[in-house]
Amino acid sequence: MSAARCNPLLTNSYSQIVLSIVFSAASQVLLKRGASDHVSEMWLGVNGLQSGWVWLGIAAMIASLFSWLHALRSIPLSLAFTLAGASHVLVPLGSWLWLGEAIPGRRWLGILLVTAGVLVSAKPATAVEKKL
Amino acid sequence: MTLLTLLAIVVTEGCSIAGQIFFKLAMGHHWEASRARAMRLLAAGVAAMAVGFFLWLGLLGSFDLSFLYPFEGLSRLVLLGAAAFFLQEKITPSLWIGVLLISAGVALVAAS
Repeated sequence: MSAARCNPLLTNSYSQIVLSIVFSAASQVLLKRGASDHVSEMWLGVNGLQSGWVWLGIAAMIASLFSWLHALRSIPLSLAFTLAGASHVLVPLGSWLWLGEAIPGRRWLGILLVTAGVLVSAKPATAVEKKL
Repeated sequence: MTLLTLLAIVVTEGCSIAGQIFFKLAMGHHWEASRARAMRLLAAGVAAMAVGFFLWLGLLGSFDLSFLYPFEGLSRLVLLGAAAFFLQEKITPSLWIGVLLISAGVALVAAS
């Protein structure tokens, strides 16, 4: 935390984390779209590379990686990775909206718990931001 | 779910945790101290992530994303331990509570 408090780019680092999470969730949905078309019986998914969706997914993953590395310069890994738990909310929402996967009631409850966990972890971080 | 699937999931998550530790080591003090060392650490992180990526893609071919993805949540607890051990990061109580809530939520999603 102390490293983050001294950093004048704090806001920027946290927006990099948000960007990274959104790109990463998008990449999972895109990869699933491509993998469903091209990867069937094979254990390793290498032939998924024939799909344009998979390549879009890879591009989103690379974008996510760069924002992630930028954020890691000032944010502890334990905090950054926990905040990235927000992808467990975004990915099911994305697979529901764009892949037509069903989300049963109990799964919605799980998504709600994950949201609460991310908010609890993010609270000390926002408290630091308010001080600045 | 077969034993082979479970093994593939464990290896995939292990790769991603190792990759994150390498990334943080690279972007932390090594980035300023020795750029060459930081680049080697980044390469190690990318290599670990790449192995995990192709295993993940293979798993995606056979399972629903909304079923498969929650297993990633269980590795969060392991990652916090790894960050404390390898990076000497201080894990605050609110972070533990947050991670436990996330893992519980993820387990609930996996069970549904």
